[in-house]
Amino acid sequence: MMQHRSKRWIFWLWLLVALALLAAGSALFIGPSGIPFKKIFQVLWNRQGGIEDQIIWGIRLPRLLLGFAIGGSLSLAGVILQGMFRNPLVEPYTLGISGGAAVGVSLSILLGLYHVSILTMPLAGFLGACSMILLLYGLNAKKKVLSLQGLLLTGVMINFIASSLIMLFLALSRSEDLQGIIFWIMGSLDEPNGFLIKIALGASLLFLFVTYFFHSDLNALALGEEEALHLGVPVERTKRLLFIITSLLVGVSVAVAGMIGFVGLVVPHFMRRIVGHDHRILLVASFLAGGVFLVFCDTLARTVIAPLELPVGVITGILGGSLFVWVLTRERGGKV
Amino acid sequence: MKLRAWLIFCAVILACSFAWAAEKGVIPERIVSLSPVITEELFLLGAGDRVVGRTHYCTKPREAQKIEEVGNVLEVSVEKIVALRPDLVLAGSMTSPKAKEKLKRLGLRVEEFPSASDFNGICDSFFKLGRIIGKEKEAETMVKIARSKVDALRSQVRDGNRPAVFLQVGVDPLVTMTHGSFLNDLIEFSGGVNVARDAGSRIYSREKVIADDPDIIIISGMGSDGEKANEKEKKIWQGYRNLKAVKNSTIYVVDSDLYCAPTPLTFVNALENIIRLLHPHDAA
Repeated sequence: MMQHRSKRWIFWLWLLVALALLAAGSALFIGPSGIPFKKIFQVLWNRQGGIEDQIIWGIRLPRLLLGFAIGGSLSLAGVILQGMFRNPLVEPYTLGISGGAAVGVSLSILLGLYHVSILTMPLAGFLGACSMILLLYGLNAKKKVLSLQGLLLTGVMINFIASSLIMLFLALSRSEDLQGIIFWIMGSLDEPNGFLIKIALGASLLFLFVTYFFHSDLNALALGEEEALHLGVPVERTKRLLFIITSLLVGVSVAVAGMIGFVGLVVPHFMRRIVGHDHRILLVASFLAGGVFLVFCDTLARTVIAPLELPVGVITGILGGSLFVWVLTRERGGKV
Repeated sequence: MKLRAWLIFCAVILACSFAWAAEKGVIPERIVSLSPVITEELFLLGAGDRVVGRTHYCTKPREAQKIEEVGNVLEVSVEKIVALRPDLVLAGSMTSPKAKEKLKRLGLRVEEFPSASDFNGICDSFFKLGRIIGKEKEAETMVKIARSKVDALRSQVRDGNRPAVFLQVGVDPLVTMTHGSFLNDLIEFSGGVNVARDAGSRIYSREKVIADDPDIIIISGMGSDGEKANEKEKKIWQGYRNLKAVKNSTIYVVDSDLYCAPTPLTFVNALENIIRLLHPHDAA
């Protein structure tokens, strides 16, 4: 039985790695400028300057890397939160952290800070996310006990407040600033700053590594807090750390790429159905699958009505959402 | 010794001439325009043949429609732009900040044109465009012509009556233009008074319009709102029977392309148009 399971896991991991390579290939080889494949191989093999080199290394590759980082981060955060809350509806944007980031970014746009440096936007987003984490934590941690129920409720409410605030900003802002805020809310992987892409990639890999130490705690928490406590899990400490880790994951992704919906909700669900509930495999599988999913969606967004580009959130929403509904209804039909 | 001095002299001359050439700038030959107004202005200045990329909405003049598209106004494909090998990218106020930054980082020359806040701004930005693409003289002449025409039109209406005008540029929500927009200039130059001049926000309330009771309502829905929406909006206003504009039937639907895409020359046309609406008896 044990043997069988690990064989299955290894199979899924290899499959996901193969899919990741496929996604990377499609992201590098397909694009609106239609460079021939042979030329792309040449450029990838040795850099030779010129326009093709610039397009592959300067535009497509950074976008691919950011796609993996953001997709991985969001679905990793989704897995952790769904496991911790034992609630399949929780996703990275539920807890109001993204709302905080959005308010931060909108304020920085409204105050005209982005004219000073474009870096103020991700910075403001991250600060917004961080202050929201502190607020949520302060509201819900009493006597060193973090109330998950309270966290969920206040998080949802704060998200509502944040979206109303953004609508207020939109109503008050000048038309140029309006564009800036809307762009940011739509989310995009077209990040100009290489440093930010490295941060996003580094953070996602680092947190994947760190959360892996929590896999058995997460498995225990899935049984319920009390049961986990009986199994010897330091429940409060684990909850606290996981809350902070996911918040930082979401904060960084939202600050760099804006709001890209559905990845953090749908991918963990799918992975749970496919590889099972054990967090030993689930964490890595979700990370990989999230990256693959977002990179595929971005390739579609770039090419489906080229040269016009769609916001990637349009594709993740439509594709992810309908795929999910289809799987759910099919399964129910099977049961009946 | 003499030879050395001569060499140094040559070097200095050479350096100076290079500096001068750099200062003057190379005239761009492959231009990507990311704003409909700028595309129109490029053609006005006779540089249409140098435009290699445009947005989906750059449809004026007709020749522009043959040029390759690189995106709509909001979302542009950075890759597509780079692939066109431009030596100049002209960004408008609606161009995504990230795309602008990315293009700059890839070593392209990006010139930004914030939206003009008044007639002077329109002229300045037109002049700036002329300077960048090496059509300084043409731009200067056209601006001069536009300015003198505007002055002439303004003096025509100087002593006329001053009707209160509500200019509606968005149908749902009700958007108007306040102080700090070239459309405000348009109303004031034509001898009208913009009832929303000092409103804090461009989103206006219907109730406020009814309280203002303007003499004239001009509807110019932008872009996708379309002609139908504007006519429907006119019907809605006509439902308020007590409005002066309804009693005198002075609610007009105008061509939004004419009003909302401000090159110096279209501004003149728009001004002529609005003067006809505001002072029908003078024109006749």
